[in-house]
Amino acid sequence: MTDMKNTDMEEINIATDVLVLGGGLTGIKAASEIAGSGYKVILVEKDAELGSKKGPELIGLKEEYKGLQDLEDKIKTDSNVEILTQASLVSAAGVTGDFTARLSKGKKVIEHNVGAIVVATDFATGSLNEKYGLSPADNVLTQSRMDELLASEADKEKLANKTVAFLVGLGQEGNPLVLERVLKSTLALQEIDGCDVYIYAGDLKVASNGLERMYKESREKGAVYFKLTEKPEIIENGKTISFFDTVARRNIEISPDLIVVEEELRADQLNERIAEILKIDVGPLGFLQNDNVHFFPVRSNRDGIFVAGSTREISGLPSAWTDVENIALEVRDLLGDGKKSVAKNKAVVNEDKCVICLTCYRCCPHGAIYWGDKKAVISPVACQGCGICASECPMDAIQIGGFSDEEMIEEVKSGVASGNGTPRILAFCCQNSAFEAGEMADIFKMQLPDGLRMIKVPCAGKIDLDYILNAFVAGADGILVMACHPGNCKSEKGNTYAQWRVNDAYRMLEEVGLEKDRLCFVGTASNMGSGFSSIVVDMEKRINELGLSPLK
Amino acid sequence: MSTENKKVMVVGGGIAGLTAAWELSRFNIDVELIEKTPFLGGYAIRYCCKATDECRQCGACTVEAMLKNVVNEPKIKVHLATDVEKINNRGRLSVDLKKSSYKPDSATEGVVRGYSKNNSPLHVIVDKEKCEENPDAVPEGAVELDTMGFSGKLDVDAVILASGFKPFDAEQKGTYGYKKFPNVVTGMDLELIIRENAIVVRPSDGKTAQKIAFIQCVGSRDESLGNLWCSQVCCPYALRMAERIKHKNADAEITVFYMDIQNAGKDYAGFYEKCKTEFRFVRNIPVDVFPMENDSLSMRYMNEEDGLCINEEFDLLVLSVGIVPGPDNSNLADLFDVGLNEDGFFAGIDKLNSTSTLKDGIFLAGTVGGPKDIAASMAHAGQAASEVIKHLGVS
Ligand SMILES: Cc1cc2nc3c(=O)[nH]c(=O)nc-3n(C[C@H](O)[C@H](O)[C@H](O)COP(=O)(O)OP(=O)(O)OC[C@H]3O[C@@H](n4cnc5c(N)ncnc54)[C@H](O)[C@@H]3O)c2cc1C
Ligand code: SF4
Ligand code: SF4
Ligand code: SF4
Ligand code: SF4
Repeated sequence: MTDMKNTDMEEINIATDVLVLGGGLTGIKAASEIAGSGYKVILVEKDAELGSKKGPELIGLKEEYKGLQDLEDKIKTDSNVEILTQASLVSAAGVTGDFTARLSKGKKVIEHNVGAIVVATDFATGSLNEKYGLSPADNVLTQSRMDELLASEADKEKLANKTVAFLVGLGQEGNPLVLERVLKSTLALQEIDGCDVYIYAGDLKVASNGLERMYKESREKGAVYFKLTEKPEIIENGKTISFFDTVARRNIEISPDLIVVEEELRADQLNERIAEILKIDVGPLGFLQNDNVHFFPVRSNRDGIFVAGSTREISGLPSAWTDVENIALEVRDLLGDGKKSVAKNKAVVNEDKCVICLTCYRCCPHGAIYWGDKKAVISPVACQGCGICASECPMDAIQIGGFSDEEMIEEVKSGVASGNGTPRILAFCCQNSAFEAGEMADIFKMQLPDGLRMIKVPCAGKIDLDYILNAFVAGADGILVMACHPGNCKSEKGNTYAQWRVNDAYRMLEEVGLEKDRLCFVGTASNMGSGFSSIVVDMEKRINELGLSPLK
Repeated sequence: MSTENKKVMVVGGGIAGLTAAWELSRFNIDVELIEKTPFLGGYAIRYCCKATDECRQCGACTVEAMLKNVVNEPKIKVHLATDVEKINNRGRLSVDLKKSSYKPDSATEGVVRGYSKNNSPLHVIVDKEKCEENPDAVPEGAVELDTMGFSGKLDVDAVILASGFKPFDAEQKGTYGYKKFPNVVTGMDLELIIRENAIVVRPSDGKTAQKIAFIQCVGSRDESLGNLWCSQVCCPYALRMAERIKHKNADAEITVFYMDIQNAGKDYAGFYEKCKTEFRFVRNIPVDVFPMENDSLSMRYMNEEDGLCINEEFDLLVLSVGIVPGPDNSNLADLFDVGLNEDGFFAGIDKLNSTSTLKDGIFLAGTVGGPKDIAASMAHAGQAASEVIKHLGVS
């Protein structure tokens, strides 16, 4: 938690129902776990039926499949779970602990007040035939088609005495789930009389439990792997496959009866719409989580909205299950018994100053601001106290508990004035990264300039242009703005705002004729003790070359 | 709430154990955290930040944050330099603990240091005689190892095993010359080198390493060793460290010898494409390393384009060692009566629930159950905590 100087707590009531979007296996499991901890769940599915639309082969869990069906039956009779099929989310207002979700089912619109929202969409498969220059034909199968054939005893028989070639990892980068499907079908084909299997592969993505062993087993049973860096030549729509073997120094040609093409596993097409409604980020490849370590495993950029399994990355059911257990913990922690104790002064809007310009609403990375009667209102539950809004508000209408403008400027001034040591270097340090690194350097007795003063901020986004200018006016010889590395900010873009403000400050320094080198923006991580030391020592060297500040 | 008096023991204070302890404490459960060494954090607390101009999502800094959470949480009681001696099963689990027989790997100095500012104590005296020879070199506040550790009985309602893994011992692959040639280092060594130095230098002469080779899959995916698993972490860490080296020293020439490159990060395809423009990838694992003049290293490998063998010299060779089962696994398996899988990691009950075991009340978290990166170890620990809470019937 953030360090609060004036802990002024209040108790508020929060909604304890939970909305789960997506009635696939992950959604079912989430509903079951959350209902199991005593909360009411509304489970929303766009189709008519719950459950996976993919067979046990595709999700790779033949043995466990029965248990999954039992789970589905169980939640259907669970009085704590309300199931809405053929329904979808239309809008979601409010913040964590108090969302108003509107759901449409046929012509009806149903409104629910929920405390948390879990997104559990599925992944979709897409053909990669084109990448290999193949068109659909009797001898060209998608991986999904092969899974279906292998699931049916009658179809399986027809595969006897066939030569089957798989193409994997050459039409896309791929991932362990894609490889697992190939390995599973290969081993299944090897059980059929007279089946020969050839696998043309790019990088084999074996980074998942058990895959290396399956790879070995299939080789021992006679599967032949050609590991290539480029696609092989595919002749006559897959009638023949040929490539040049650099070791044997000759072309290797095979004419398979069937050619099985890997599939792309991609984000659910519902994701974009859901992200828009919930105001959460769309991360790489259309999955609903940014690549930011602070969100792992199951957080979105908004408190109270969680992302599970294939919603956030391509994942098999084992990791989806891990996600769901983590969400169950988060939901319990968030909702508790419906009462929450929160700090009142994390971020407070001054009604008299606010002109409803929308700036704070737009810049809050946690979606914690909404509109009240004639002013912006900040939810004390959703607010993370980062201070980005406070520094962006053109009216200075927002103050952050423990880090008010008055307190900060006082700290800046006394920081520059107090103690010994020149040159006087002021380092604004994000409490999540640079401040930790600075303390580490100090505790481990790494080299630090005598004139260094660290000023802790809740997030680099709180570093106001005013603070920087005030520090120079007070006589600082150099200023460091030390934020998390881009992509590592807990508030996503606090470091970006800090960088912009430093750029603004450069322009002003130029106007008053102060050297640009006196101000520096750097990225730091909490474990960079020696990195911190070398950054500040370098800064001291630069300042010594420039001499003391002419503003002194 | 029926959480009163519920108490859980977590064995191992690496990122998995720390996370499990912290998650349980959030639900008002008392935790006894047992750590064999004098420091919390396991391996991951030692790693370097791999950011270039931007964060590379290696997860190392999250370990620092979790350690801080744990040491500031009064519900978590930490027992350093302590090991499990015996389990007496009677209703609640009664566990006998003893001072651990911890010995540092490199006892060249009399004092060992923690890796985080949140380690307490920060310095531990492991060799009193050496310290007496040179008392000035002993940091203030250093604690004698002999005085640490807890012996006695604890009654708990459940146990989470989070005793982690062991980095593969590269000396087992003798032909690479690890510990024989000074400029052959492991990925674990490189983590520390980057953590302490902005620029990567050669151990032999302190000069900037310009020509650097990484050999992947050292100790993993290796039939001759019987290690039939991919360690999952060594491709990501090697590529991230290589990027970081290149970022600080644009002239560095980096070659990666590999079998198959595994994905790193959410935008793995984009990351790999970028790496391909910066490093040379050779799909061949060299077998022999020969020392040359100036402590450089020569390796023989097959060139993919023409199938010919080449000898090439490098300044520095990094062995990307992987994850192997922890040294205490078989002992802990006996003590707690929980099975190991064919690879020597602890076995969960099934694929979907890999944190519960066949033994009632005993749970698993992190690499104790197989290779995982930091993020996956944390998620696994969360899952374990959730299963424990269900087991205890806490509501
Ligand atoms: C070279 C290398 C680099 C890596 N780099 C990265 C990276 O950049 N990013 C990433 O995400 N992952 C990385 N990893 C993987 C990462 O190290 C693991 O995911 C992580 O450390 C696993 O944490 P853990 O808690 O399971 O195990 P450990 O870190 O092994 O912690 C286990 C703890 O248990 C203690 N213990 C053991 N036995 C006992 C006992 N009997 N009683 C009491 N305590 C005991 C140990 O002392 C230790 O403190 C890397 C791995 C290697 C080998
Ligand atoms: S930015 Fe300031 S003035 Fe604008 S709406 Fe928010 S509080 Fe009001
Ligand atoms: S302090 Fe940060 S989280 Fe809180 S309202 Fe302002 S911008 Fe949003
Ligand atoms: S690269 Fe690793 S240590 Fe550095 S900021 Fe990113 S996650 Fe943290
Ligand atoms: S992660 Fe890479 S280096 Fe490590 S075992 Fe797997 S393939 Fe080999």
